[in-house]
Amino acid sequence: MSKISVSKISVRGLRKSFGSNEVLKGLDVEIIEGEVVCVIGPSGSGKSTFLRCLNKLDELSAGTVIVDGFNLSDKTVDLNEVRQHIGMVFQHFNLFPHMTVLQNIMLAPVELKKESTADARASALKLLDRVGLADKATARPAQLSGGQKQRVAIARSLAVNPDIMLFDEATSALDPEMVGEVLQVIRDLAAEGMTMVVVTHEMGFAREVADRVIFMADGVIVEEGTPAELFGNPQQPRTQDFLSKVL
Amino acid sequence: MRKITKFRAAKLTVAVTALLALAGGFVGISAAAASQPQAKPNTEVTGETYVIGTDTTFAPFEYRKDGELTGIDMDLIRDIAKNQGFTVEIKSLGFDAALQALQSNQVDGVIAGMSITDERGLIFDFSDPYFDSGVQMAVAEDNTKISGYADLAGENVVAKRGSEGETFANSIKDEYGFTVKALADSATMYDDVKAGNSVAVFDDYPVLAYGINQNNGLKSVTEKEQGSSYGFAVNKGQNPELLAAFNTGLAELKTSGEYQDILDTYLEQPAPAASSGFFGLLSDSLPALMKGLGLTLLATALSIVIALVLGVLFGFFKVSESRVLRGIASVYVSIFRGTPLLVQAFFFYFGLPQLTGQSIDVLTAGVLTLSLNAGAYMTEIVRGGIQSVDPGQTEAGRSLGLGYVTTMRRVVLPQAVKIMTPSFINQFVMTLKDTSLLAVIGFAELTYQGQQIYAANFRTGETLLIVAALYFIVINLLTMLSNKLDKRFNK
Repeated sequence: MSKISVSKISVRGLRKSFGSNEVLKGLDVEIIEGEVVCVIGPSGSGKSTFLRCLNKLDELSAGTVIVDGFNLSDKTVDLNEVRQHIGMVFQHFNLFPHMTVLQNIMLAPVELKKESTADARASALKLLDRVGLADKATARPAQLSGGQKQRVAIARSLAVNPDIMLFDEATSALDPEMVGEVLQVIRDLAAEGMTMVVVTHEMGFAREVADRVIFMADGVIVEEGTPAELFGNPQQPRTQDFLSKVL
Repeated sequence: MRKITKFRAAKLTVAVTALLALAGGFVGISAAAASQPQAKPNTEVTGETYVIGTDTTFAPFEYRKDGELTGIDMDLIRDIAKNQGFTVEIKSLGFDAALQALQSNQVDGVIAGMSITDERGLIFDFSDPYFDSGVQMAVAEDNTKISGYADLAGENVVAKRGSEGETFANSIKDEYGFTVKALADSATMYDDVKAGNSVAVFDDYPVLAYGINQNNGLKSVTEKEQGSSYGFAVNKGQNPELLAAFNTGLAELKTSGEYQDILDTYLEQPAPAASSGFFGLLSDSLPALMKGLGLTLLATALSIVIALVLGVLFGFFKVSESRVLRGIASVYVSIFRGTPLLVQAFFFYFGLPQLTGQSIDVLTAGVLTLSLNAGAYMTEIVRGGIQSVDPGQTEAGRSLGLGYVTTMRRVVLPQAVKIMTPSFINQFVMTLKDTSLLAVIGFAELTYQGQQIYAANFRTGETLLIVAALYFIVINLLTMLSNKLDKRFNK
C-alpha cells in the first residue's frame, strides 16, 4: 500500500499526571496516514493513558497533541468534531445495553445528523455485514458473545467514518477462542489503509500487522522500530527483558 | 387546662374535700358576677368575620361528630357570635398549634378549653372565665377495689402530660404511695386504665364526665377537685373589640340560660345507646376517613411531583462539573436530610409566617414540607442512579463525538432511570406514609381523621385498625401498580 508522508497524529512533550502520580513523562510520537502503530509494554506503563490522550478522554497535563490538524491543547477546538475523526474501541466493549445492535451503530450518525435514519440503517447493516454479524442486527448486547460484542463495537466506531482508529486492548477481555475473529477485523481495516494505534498484548499480531512497534515502560517510550527490528533485535535491556517474558 | 404551671395543690388534704361544696357555690356566684348585661350587640364587630383557632379533639369542648366540629367551646363561640352579630371561621389546629397560630396572627382568637394562667397572660389577653374546671379521678367500670385516694397505695395511675391532672396527682402521690405515669391524650389514658396498666386516671372533670357518658368503660369515684378556669384568648393587644364582644355575649348567654343549656347538653346528657359493633363503627367512620384519605393522596401526589422535579434538578447539580452547583445541591440535601420532618413541618407552618408575616395555609405548608424533604432523598436517588451507570458508557458516547447532553439523554439516563425506579417507588411510599405526620399541624388527612374519631368515641384500637388497613390497602395497591409499570417500561 502506498503511504503519503503526512502526519495524522503529532504528539510533542506529552505529559499526564493523576494527582501527584505522573503516568506519562514526555512522549514524542509522529504517526503518518495509513500507518499501523502497535503499542506494547508492561501493565501500568501508560499505554492506555497515551491512547486516551489522543482523543482527550483524559485531559493533557502538558505538551501538544495534534490530530488531523486539530490542536487538542487548544481549548477552543470542538472536541465533538475532532472525535468524529477518531474511532475508539475499548477493552470492555462499552456497548449500550439498552439498545439493539443496530441502534448501537445508528445512534451517533443519526444524533449527529450525518445521515438520515434510513441511510444510517443501510450503512449500519453494511457495517454489520463487514464484521460478519449481519444476522445479529436486532439482538441485544447481552445476547452476544464477547467476540461478537467487540466486533459490534468496532462497527459502531466505524459508523461515523473516522480516518483514525484507536484500539485499547481490544482483545484482553476475550476468551482465547474469540481473539482471532476480532483480530481479523482489525487486520482487514489495516489492509484497507486505516490509520491505527493499537495497544495490545498480542505480540504475534503486532509483529504481523504493525508498520511500527512502540515499547513503553514507566511513562516513557523506551524503544521503537519496525516489528523486525523490535522483536528480532531489541536494543534496550528493558525491551529485551519484557520480550523474554512475553514471547 | 393543660400545661398549667402554677397550680399549687401541694398540701391538699381531706379538708379540701370539705371545701368543695363551697367551691361549687362559687361557680354560680362568679357566673352571676360576670353577667352584667349590656343590652346592645357590640357594633364594632357587627358583620366582621373572625378566624378562631381550636384544638382538634378535646371532648366535650371540641371534637368532631359526623365530620362536623362540635362541643361546648364550639356552641359557645358560635352562639356568642350570633348574639353579637359577627361571623366565625373555625380552624381545628390542635392545642399547641392553635396557640402558635394565635401568636403569629394566623388566627384572631383561640377557644380551646384553655386555662387562664399568669404565664399565658403575658402573651395573650383573656376573656372572662367561661368555665370552671377541676381534676377528677376515674377507674375501670368493673373495679370495686378503688373508691378513694387511700386505695391507691402501691398502684400505678395515669395523667395527661403537663396537665393540671398530672400536677395534682404528683402532689398527693407521696401521701398515698402511688406512682404517676404521663400520657399525651385522654383516649390513650382511658385505654391504659381499661387495659389494666394503670388502676386510675386523673383527668379534667368535664372531659372525664363526657367520656363516661360515651361509655368509655370508666366510672368516676371521687368528687371534683377545685381547679382553674377556662378563657377565650386573643393575641396581646390585638382584636380588643372581639374580646369585648365575647365578654358581652357570654354574659348575655348566662342571663338567658343558653349557657347552662349548652353545658347540660354535653355534661348531663343521658348515656347514649350501647356502642355499635365493629361494622357500625366502620360505616360511621368511613365517610370522614375517606375524606382524609383523599387529602392524603392529594398531598402525596403534589409532593411527589414537586420532589421529582427538585430531585432531578439537584441530582444533576450533584454530578455536574461546577463546584458551585455541587455545593448548592449538597447544602440542600444536608439541610433537609439532616433535620426531622416534623420540625420542618412546624417550621413551615408556624415559623415561616412569624418570620415573614405572611400566613400560609396548611395544605401549602404540608406539601412544601413533604416535597422539599422528599426532594432531598430524590436528589440522592438521581445522583446515585447516574453515578451507578458504568463510566465506560459515557466514554463510549463521547468518543463517538456525541456531546454531554446527548450522551446523558440517550446513553446514561435510560440506564439510570431503570436503576432508580425501585428507589423512586420506595420514596413514593415513604412520602405517602409521611403525610400522617402532617396531622400535627392540623392537616385533615387520614391519620388526623382517625384521631378525631377515637377522641370522640374512645374506640382507639378499632379506629386505628381501620386507619392502618386503609393505608395498607392503598399503599399495596399503588406499589403493585408501580411495579407493573416498572416492568412494562423498564424491560
